Amino acid sequence: MSKAITVNGRALAVDADSETPLLWVLRDHLGLTGTKYGCGIGQCGACTVHLDGAPVRSCQIPLGAVDAPVTTIEALSFDGSHPLQLAWVSLNVPQCGYCQTGFLMAADALLKAIPNPSDADIDAALTNICRCGTYDRIRAGVHRAAAGREA
Amino acid sequence: MNRLNRRTFVVSALAAGGGLTLSISDAHATRTADEFTPWLTIGSDDTVTVRVATPEIGNGAMTQCAMTVAEELGCAWSHIRTEFAPVNRNYMEGDTFGKADDYLVYFGGRSTGALRMETLLQAGASARERLKAAAAARWKVPVGEIEADESVLTHRVSGRTLRYGEVAALAANVTLAHEPALKPQAQWTLLGKAAPSKLNNADIVMGKAQYGMDVRLPGMLYAALMQAPVQGGRLQWVDAEAVRGMPGVHSVVVVDPTEPRGPRQAKAPFTLDYSAPQSAVAVVADHYWQARKALEALPVVWEAGDGAQWKTTDQLKTAALEACEQPSKVEKSVGDAEAAFATPGGRTVEAAYLTPYCDHATMEPLNGTALVAKDRVDVWHPAQQTQMTFAIAVEETGVPPQNVHIHQTFVGGGFGRRVFGDDVRMVLAVARKVPGRPVHVIWSREESMRQGRYRPLQAVKLTARLADDGMPVALRARYSGRGLFPMGMSDTALMSGLIPNVRIESATLPLHILTGPYRGPGYNSHAFFLESFIDECAAAAGADPLDYRLRLLAKWPDPAWAKCLQTVAKESGWGERTPRGEGRGIAISNWSMGGKPRAGTTCAAVARVAVTPQGELSVKQIDVAFDCGRIVNRDAVLAQLEGGSVFGLNMSLNEALNIENGRIVEGNFHEYPMLRMADMPKIRCHFGGLSGHDRFTELGEPPVGPVGPAIANAIFAATGKRIRQTPFRNQDLAWS
Ligand code: FES
Ligand code: FES
Repeated sequence: MSKAITVNGRALAVDADSETPLLWVLRDHLGLTGTKYGCGIGQCGACTVHLDGAPVRSCQIPLGAVDAPVTTIEALSFDGSHPLQLAWVSLNVPQCGYCQTGFLMAADALLKAIPNPSDADIDAALTNICRCGTYDRIRAGVHRAAAGREA
Repeated sequence: MNRLNRRTFVVSALAAGGGLTLSISDAHATRTADEFTPWLTIGSDDTVTVRVATPEIGNGAMTQCAMTVAEELGCAWSHIRTEFAPVNRNYMEGDTFGKADDYLVYFGGRSTGALRMETLLQAGASARERLKAAAAARWKVPVGEIEADESVLTHRVSGRTLRYGEVAALAANVTLAHEPALKPQAQWTLLGKAAPSKLNNADIVMGKAQYGMDVRLPGMLYAALMQAPVQGGRLQWVDAEAVRGMPGVHSVVVVDPTEPRGPRQAKAPFTLDYSAPQSAVAVVADHYWQARKALEALPVVWEAGDGAQWKTTDQLKTAALEACEQPSKVEKSVGDAEAAFATPGGRTVEAAYLTPYCDHATMEPLNGTALVAKDRVDVWHPAQQTQMTFAIAVEETGVPPQNVHIHQTFVGGGFGRRVFGDDVRMVLAVARKVPGRPVHVIWSREESMRQGRYRPLQAVKLTARLADDGMPVALRARYSGRGLFPMGMSDTALMSGLIPNVRIESATLPLHILTGPYRGPGYNSHAFFLESFIDECAAAAGADPLDYRLRLLAKWPDPAWAKCLQTVAKESGWGERTPRGEGRGIAISNWSMGGKPRAGTTCAAVARVAVTPQGELSVKQIDVAFDCGRIVNRDAVLAQLEGGSVFGLNMSLNEALNIENGRIVEGNFHEYPMLRMADMPKIRCHFGGLSGHDRFTELGEPPVGPVGPAIANAIFAATGKRIRQTPFRNQDLAWS
């Protein structure tokens, strides 16, 4: 039942049922708790990770279907120095913070695809839920990180 | 010296974490050597640790407490950190932390209560003076020649310096002849001036902040929980054998609410009855997914109980509205409203309103972890009220309070859901059946949503008599509901002097659905009812809604109310013409005023909406102004106003739970929608309403009140339709 996957650049063998959602593999088997459980049905985006660089909702991907490298929030940067992380801290974006790692992973994928996104781009790419209502600051954070990158 | 008493759990995450280490340390159970007061330690490396008796639920309460200490201590902000104050020590030392404030709010979510701020300012001032005294002794100079700033002590005369850390150990043992006086507010340099980023933001953005869901302990098992689907129901039959052979399954636990529990030995801020255990089953397994799959496969039969009488939501709504048609229990009576209604002349306005059950839908689903041993209990929990957690753990396990330890984690959203502690009750009820192993109990999103402690459904019939000048001389309010719904209904400005004759009645319905505080308990419905109704009175009087409110407030001894209204009116372009199908609405309310002027936080809002002839609503802009007296952190205030406005917006536009045969229907976000980035109107928060009165009242709840009625009133302005129920997405707004 052991399955080989690559997470944050490391090749790992995971001993879990192939139906187990990637979300729970990351959290419970690999101890990567930065990826969050919010709904389990693909609605909230708290579980967003990158699969082969593309943002995916890890609660919707069974372990058996993981066929490309996975990147989680723990590897967005190793020291919090990613432009999005710096922008998030300086704009005091998070409230409870529970949704933020999912937003950051979705935002990073957006900036890689569109380095200088418009508000409409942000609306379309960041469909996650934040119950604390930090949307305005998240938007500002994406713009700030984009501006920093250009500079 | 007591460091040996400090139990530390350190768990290394697996290799993929890139060396990430999660550590959960048992907070200091007794006095530590580097401690100046129970609130404050300073290490030899200059690190200042502030112990905070307030969970961090997202409002920045922990950071605020650190700022309050730093204001008087004069330490560098980069040297400050926070940790949770240990509730066990509070118990052992006779309320060490709690006695500094009303224990109702201690270990609860607020940071700017007057006594709390004074306690922390004093702790900082006292430590600063003791550091100076220690430096004076070291240098053999008069203490008056020493200055303390940015974690450095300077001898003004010679220019010599010492870091705080260099004399901290000495200073911790200094006893002052008398405690220093606090700076006057006018001399504050941090509070009211600075707005640092929250101290835990750096961990949050790296995925390192530890929420209840992230607790990982050696030997930990996971449990998936299912409580009686009709609240108050009972387990009739379960076939545990059917799942025992499933992968990873450890055991099936049955929670029986009638089993004996321990005595209530620890002081609790609310009655522990609010956390009463529910009939439930849980599957315990090596991993959560295994537990969840086995729970889904578990054959189980429930006995529904009385709640099954409520077959549909409409049946319930009808009962609530009908109950408002008869006289009921009098909650408040001022003047003689009935006599005023019996007097001929004037004009009567009457309308019935209703708000539905709503779920907090915290982003972090309910969960908690407990290790119950014979003589010791450890609980790791995302509590909103740590003292409640403690008292429940003592009762549920029967272990004496001195051996019960609560490890507060970060909290992925509270909004009132995690105050009464029914969650930790169930965690302990499960974990005590698996003694000696830490058990992490997780509610699925569906279980969280269907087993809420909801914002109560309530209805009201409002009747007003307007005098010839159009102003109300009498108001009767007949409410119905169950649970916390009457809270605050009598304390609004309308009911506390603005209208001379007032009568409030309330009828309790035989509802089984469990309720609890939800961001602004009572207030979130009452503001909608009263501010929509005042708009109806204004329309009946042929008056502009803003002018009408200002006239009502003319004799109110708190001018900040009018100032808030005028601010939002000016900022929103109130009075400018809008095309048909567009309109502005205004509302004002106050959270926690207790019937008094210059108390609580007043909040006014103007909403601008557009409604298509087919009834499609879009909220274009919301302007908010407020008065909480004074502010200590402008950005934290803004964050709460923004978030609270979004919360009020979602509640009013989207949120309602339905009932079917006693069960809650909605289980996840596809059925209980949340606004997202693309749905956001422009939300603008203005400081022009601030009075400067000497208080720092709450900001989290206030905006949840006026946003909904401002939108309903804007819909009326746009379409001529009165919307008297939430959520607005379920109302027919079509016009022609
Ligand atoms: S947990 Fe995966 S989308 Fe919500
Ligand atoms: S910050 Fe709390 S849910 Fe987004």
